[in-house]
Amino acid sequence: MDLLRHLRYFLAVAEELHFGRAAARLHMSQPPLSQSIQRLERELGVRLFDRDARHVALTDAGRQILTEARGLLAGEDRLRALAGRFRHGEAGSLRAGVPPDLGGRAVAALLPAFRRRSPVELKLREIGTAEQLRALADRSLDVGVLRFPFDVSWLSLGPVLTSPLGVLLPRDHPLAAAPDVRLADLNGLALVLFPRATAPALHDEVLTTCARHGYTPADVHQAGNPEFALGLVLAGGAVALHDGVAPPPDVVWRPLRGTPLLWRTSAAWPRGRQTPAVTAFADAVTEVLAAQGMRHAEGTLPRYPRPAAEYLS
Amino acid sequence: MTAARVRAAFADAGVTGALHAVDLDHPDRELSVGADEPVVLASVFKVPLLVALHHSAHDLTRRITLDADRSTGPTGVGGMLDPVTMSLRDLAYLAVTVSDNAAADALADLIGLDAVNDTLRELGLTRTLVVHRARDFMRTMAEDAAPDELPAALADPVVLSRLRALDPDHTNRGTARDLTTLLRHVWRHDDCAPIRRAMALQVWPHRLASGFPFDDVRVAGKTGTLPTVRNEVGVVEYPDGGRYAVAVFTRSASTAFTLPAADAVIGTAARLALEHLR
Repeated sequence: MDLLRHLRYFLAVAEELHFGRAAARLHMSQPPLSQSIQRLERELGVRLFDRDARHVALTDAGRQILTEARGLLAGEDRLRALAGRFRHGEAGSLRAGVPPDLGGRAVAALLPAFRRRSPVELKLREIGTAEQLRALADRSLDVGVLRFPFDVSWLSLGPVLTSPLGVLLPRDHPLAAAPDVRLADLNGLALVLFPRATAPALHDEVLTTCARHGYTPADVHQAGNPEFALGLVLAGGAVALHDGVAPPPDVVWRPLRGTPLLWRTSAAWPRGRQTPAVTAFADAVTEVLAAQGMRHAEGTLPRYPRPAAEYLS
Repeated sequence: MTAARVRAAFADAGVTGALHAVDLDHPDRELSVGADEPVVLASVFKVPLLVALHHSAHDLTRRITLDADRSTGPTGVGGMLDPVTMSLRDLAYLAVTVSDNAAADALADLIGLDAVNDTLRELGLTRTLVVHRARDFMRTMAEDAAPDELPAALADPVVLSRLRALDPDHTNRGTARDLTTLLRHVWRHDDCAPIRRAMALQVWPHRLASGFPFDDVRVAGKTGTLPTVRNEVGVVEYPDGGRYAVAVFTRSASTAFTLPAADAVIGTAARLALEHLR
């Protein structure tokens, strides 16, 4: 039986001590209300009311059960209100991932930008693209900030933002004298890049793009830590890719001529799992990255399209 | 253990994937990596198409003419310029050996997609459904990419995320397990002998076959390709008589068309699976 519904009727009769007034309050007629009370008494196996032609009075059992019924019904109200707050994205927490090289300033700006948009608690984790995808898939992450390329087939995306890449060079390097650098000028130097396992597709894309523009690194050093990457550049013989936002001191940043390399970044979440908190996070990411100088990706893609007819083999 | 190695191989190649491998003669020996997840079939749909054709009453030696309004594609009649008259069985041969879209669509128009789905139901493949012909892939990709234009739009991941042709809910779909079940049928049934022959003569060596660089191991397969989608289903036969059906479906992170590692990992994953089964 729908116990909570019958308890609501019981509560109305107990408060009015009159079946007619209770029925009016419940916007129903009296016979179904009487039947409901009888069913409830059968279900619980005790009489709740003593009634004669003129009077309705609570039994001892009825009085004590009334107290419990009030508690249960108040609990139901709280439960429904809580569910409603989750439904409207006003409660709980949002588990979000950001890439390790997003930068401290961006992380610092992200938290207030999100707080302005959502009352939900934001739990940020610093993890790479590959690991974010695994976490989004197993539901241990609600939303991520991902570097392209990744498999978008099961994800919804926020706006895609791009940042053109340049290189970090030792101050005294001859290439530092020019305002920009061609990729082909880097031949003979090693390249410092993020560990391949953290984003294999992007790692390979960077190396093939370098090769396409005439740069085949003498060696590829995998550095997960920006300090280690900086050390390798300072030691000489290597360059590191960098988006030019707050480059470290002691080295110089030079853009790459023709912007052959771009980071493309977007918020992403599993399809069908968009909540107001996810939307707030995606908007906050867009605001923060745009404020850092990243630009919307429209018109920047693609470079080397293949005839569509070649698919389907 | 092997499943983890297969997943690691997929990740290293920049793809995610699903795989099912099963011993044709001992079907209880199998390996599953996401084998029941819905996947996009792409041109793999030509296998169920041919199974339905070979179980139909059509005279496969009958010749039909494919005129200028036929479906197009990079290979076979689909890439030719003039009217072609050919028997149904030769069209079937081209649809599998070189994934000829014009040949496949001519056969699909002849028997109807309902007949293909009826055959799938009769074989108990409840997770597999064919709703598009090859030309429907191209049509829906153009419609869904709008206002962006093909082919440039196919390198944009945001455009790809809205293509019906890449969404298992809205295009030809199946599961790795369903497709190996279909292959077990093809390898058991006399009517399907021409399909076995055509799959063994398929021209592409870069996917499933690349995992078995041994001239005495025979690979018969059918590929499927769409932007970021690389599939192959097939049967691998060893000289000791071991025969295994394998179905591999992948999605690449990169939108590039030429990704040798993504093609090759289909063979690598299949070999890891068969090493486990043997």
